[in-house]
Amino acid sequence: MREGFGFRSLHPVVLLVYYAGGLTFGMLLFHPLVLLAGLAGAILANVALDRAASLRRWALPMLVGAAFVLIVNPLLSHRGRTVLAYWGDIPITLESVVYGATMAIMLANVLTLCVTYRLVLTEQKFLYLFARLLPKTALVAMMATGLIPRLRRRLGDLALVQRTRGISVTEGGLGHRVRSGARLLHTLLAWSLEDALQTADSMQARGYGTGERSAYSSYRFRARDGLALGVLAATGAALFAGWAGGWGLLAVYPRLEPVSLSGGDGWVALGYFIYIAMPLGWEWRDARAWRASNWNG
Amino acid sequence: MASIELERVTFTYPDAERPALSRVSMKAAHGEFVVLCGASGSGKSSLLRLIKRELSPGGRVSGAIRLDGTPIERWPAREAAAAIGFVMQHPDNQLVVDTVEHELAFGMENLGLEPGAMRRRMAEMAGFFGLEPLLDRRTDTLSGGQKQLVNLAAVLMLQPRVLLLDEPTAQLDPLAARELLGMLKRLNEEWAMTIVLSEHRIDDLLPIADRVVRLDGGEVVFDGSPRDYAREAVRRGDPAWRLSLPGVTRWALEREQPAAAPHREPPLSVKEARGWLPATGEISSVPFESAVAVPDVSAPRREADALLSADGVFFAYEKHAPAVLQGLEWQLRAGDWVVLFGGNGSGKSTLLQLLAGLRQPQRGHVRLAGAKFSRISPAERFAAIGYLAQNPVLHYAHDTLREDLRQAARQAGLSDPAAAAERAAAEFGLAALLDRHPHDLSGGEQQLGALAMTLMSRPRALLLDEPTKGLDPLAKLRLAEHLSALHRDGTTLLLATHDVEFAAAYATRCALLFGGVIVADGAPDDFFRDNLFYATSLHRLFRTHGRTAEEAGAR
Repeated sequence: MREGFGFRSLHPVVLLVYYAGGLTFGMLLFHPLVLLAGLAGAILANVALDRAASLRRWALPMLVGAAFVLIVNPLLSHRGRTVLAYWGDIPITLESVVYGATMAIMLANVLTLCVTYRLVLTEQKFLYLFARLLPKTALVAMMATGLIPRLRRRLGDLALVQRTRGISVTEGGLGHRVRSGARLLHTLLAWSLEDALQTADSMQARGYGTGERSAYSSYRFRARDGLALGVLAATGAALFAGWAGGWGLLAVYPRLEPVSLSGGDGWVALGYFIYIAMPLGWEWRDARAWRASNWNG
Repeated sequence: MASIELERVTFTYPDAERPALSRVSMKAAHGEFVVLCGASGSGKSSLLRLIKRELSPGGRVSGAIRLDGTPIERWPAREAAAAIGFVMQHPDNQLVVDTVEHELAFGMENLGLEPGAMRRRMAEMAGFFGLEPLLDRRTDTLSGGQKQLVNLAAVLMLQPRVLLLDEPTAQLDPLAARELLGMLKRLNEEWAMTIVLSEHRIDDLLPIADRVVRLDGGEVVFDGSPRDYAREAVRRGDPAWRLSLPGVTRWALEREQPAAAPHREPPLSVKEARGWLPATGEISSVPFESAVAVPDVSAPRREADALLSADGVFFAYEKHAPAVLQGLEWQLRAGDWVVLFGGNGSGKSTLLQLLAGLRQPQRGHVRLAGAKFSRISPAERFAAIGYLAQNPVLHYAHDTLREDLRQAARQAGLSDPAAAAERAAAEFGLAALLDRHPHDLSGGEQQLGALAMTLMSRPRALLLDEPTKGLDPLAKLRLAEHLSALHRDGTTLLLATHDVEFAAAYATRCALLFGGVIVADGAPDDFFRDNLFYATSLHRLFRTHGRTAEEAGAR
C-alpha cells in the first residue's frame, strides 16, 4: 500500500536509510543513558505510528529477552573490579551488571525499532528497494510471495478431497499418516509443476527474456524526502563524529566510569534521540495539516 | 489489410501420425472478432499457439502465418511478443508476481519501457478496466473473474495489434464470463482490436462475433457469419453443432417452416427471438428439449424419507468471519436429482462439502438416513456419499489413472481391484487412457475418471460441484448420460452449478441458496417460471409472453 500520511509516506530509500542508521548507531553506541534516549524515541515513534498497538503485542517477548540478558550477563561474566556480592561462590560484579543492563537496553531499542520497521517498510517497499539492486532476485522473490499462498490453499483443497480416499494426515497410525503426507506433497508438486509450465508460458508470452528489463516504480522522490534525508544525514554525521571522538561510549571494564552524561555524551544522546524520533515530526506535521483542513471544511 | 493471415498451415506434433492441423487457411481482418469453435482436441489451441510465436508447440509446420503481411518469424523478438497478446484458460496460472500492479507492469518491464511510459499506460489501462481499487491487492485474494480481467489487462499493457484468447471463460462462472466477454466486446468496438477467441461454449459469443470458424479434426469445416453458422448447424443436425447454439436460436430455427419465413435472420438473443413468438399464446409451457427423457418418477418418491438432511446448519470459516451458512434447513430425498443454484461465494461448495462430511458445521447437524454424521465412521460416510470436487485434479494421487482406479477399488473393499479398475475405465470410455498420467488427461476425461473412482464404493448419494464447468457440449452430454444412468439405478444426485440449461434438461428439483439459507426449492418448471435471472433463455423468452397471454385470457 502506498500510504500518504506521515512518516509512512516517505520514499522507501529514506526509510531504509533511517532504519539502517538507527540500527547501526543502536549497536555502535554503548552507553545506557544514550541508548535509553534512543529507546524513548523508538517508543514514542511506535505510539505515533500505530498507538503502540504492535509494540504492545511484542512487549512481553521483548521484555523477557531483555530481562534474560540483564540477569544472565552478571552470572556468566565475572570481569570487573567492583564485587557487589557473591552468589554461592560466583562473584557478581558491578561492571557486569551495568554491562548487562546496557546490553538489555540496546536489545530493547533495536527490537522496538524493528517493530516500526515492520509497520513502515512494507513488503512492497522492500521489494521496490530490492528490485533496484538485484532485479532478477527481486523477481524471484515476488514470484515466490505470489506462489506460497497459492500452494498453501491448494494443499488444503487437496487434503480435504483426498480424505474421502483414505489419504489423511489426521487419521490412522503414524506410518499411514507419514505415507499420506508424502503422497499429498507428491501430488501437490506434480500438479504445481504442471501449472508452472503455464506460468512460464505466460511470462514468455509477455516478452520475458527479450532483452534488458526495466523496473516499474510506484514511488517518487519528493522534496520532503530530500528534506528528511538531509536531516538524517546531518544528524547521522554528527553522531558519527561524536562516536569517532569517543563520546556515547561507556567504559565498563575493567573499572566502571561514572554513568552520568558527561560533556559530549549529552549531545550524542540528544542527537540519537532526534534521529530515532524523526517519525514523530512527520506524523505531527501531517496531523496538523489534517486538523487545519478539517477546521476549514 | 489483413491483420492475421494463415495460408495452408499444416502442423504435426513430433510423435503424432496424423497432423493436428491440416491445410488451415483463415484470416482475421483488422478490427474483426473471430470465434474459433470446435470440440476439445479439434486443434483450436494448437492453432492459436502457432500464431503466438513464443508459445509455438514443437513439431513440423508448413504453410505461412503472417501478421500485417509479414511472416511472424521475421518479426523482431520484442515486437513480436508485444504485437500478439495471448490470454490462456486458467486464471491462476498466468499470474506471475504478487500484486495486481506488479502483474500489470510485468510485461512492460520485460520490454524495458521507461518509467514514465509505464505509469501512463498503467493509468490508462487501470481506468479502462476499472482496476484502480484492486491495484494494491495481492492477486491470490482476487476472484477468478477478477484474475482473468487482470490477465487480460496485463496483456493489453503491451499494446498488442492482435489479441488471442484460448478458452478464456472456461474456468469462470457465467456472470464473470459475461463480464469478460463484455470487456472484449468493448475492446473490439472502441479500439478496433482484432480478436481471435477459441471457445466451445459459444452461445454468449455468437451475438458479438463477426465471424465463426469451426475446426473439426484439424480442418476448417465452417468459416462464415454467426447467423450462417446457426443455419448451418441446424441444417447439419449433428448434435455437436446443434448443441453449440444458444437455446433460443435452436428453438427458433427448429420450429421454422421453410415456406413460412425463409428470409428471416436467425435470432441470436432473447430480444431478437421475441419476434419469432407466435402472435397468440398457443404455447402454454416452455418446450423443453432434454437429451434424456426426465424420468416421471418424481411424484411417488416425493414421499420418500430424507436421505441427507441438514438441521439448522451453521458454518463459518473463521471465528470472526461472516457465517457462510446460517441455520440452513434442507432435505435431499432418496431418488432426487437436485440442482443447487446460488451466486459466487453464496456457499454452494461449502454446503456440498458439509453434506459430504468433509467439513463439520459449528452448529446443527447433518444426517444420513436419520443418523447423525458424528455417529457414523468417516470411512462409512465417504463410501455412502460420493463427492466430486469442482477441480477433478484434486481426486488424483497416483502416477497413472490405472493406479488411482485400483486404489479406489481397494478402498471400496472390492475383491479384485485390478479387474474393477479395467471395468470402470471401460464403462466410462477411458480404457485407452489407463496408463496415462492423470494430469495429462483433458478436463472432461479427468472428471469421468474421478467419477469412476467415486462410484467404486457404490454411493447412495452423489454430490457434484460444478460438473459441467469447462466441458464442451458433447462431453457435457456424455456426463449427463452417465448421471442419468446412475439416477435410474436409484442414486440420489445433487449438483451445484451455474448451468441453467443443464439443470432444466435433467433435474427433478431445483433449489436456490442465498444469504446462508435455501430461499427457493421446487420442481424445475415452477422454479424457472418464477425466476428472471436463474432461468434458461427459453424460460426468459416465454415468461413475458406467457404472462401477456394469461392476462389476455383473463380479460
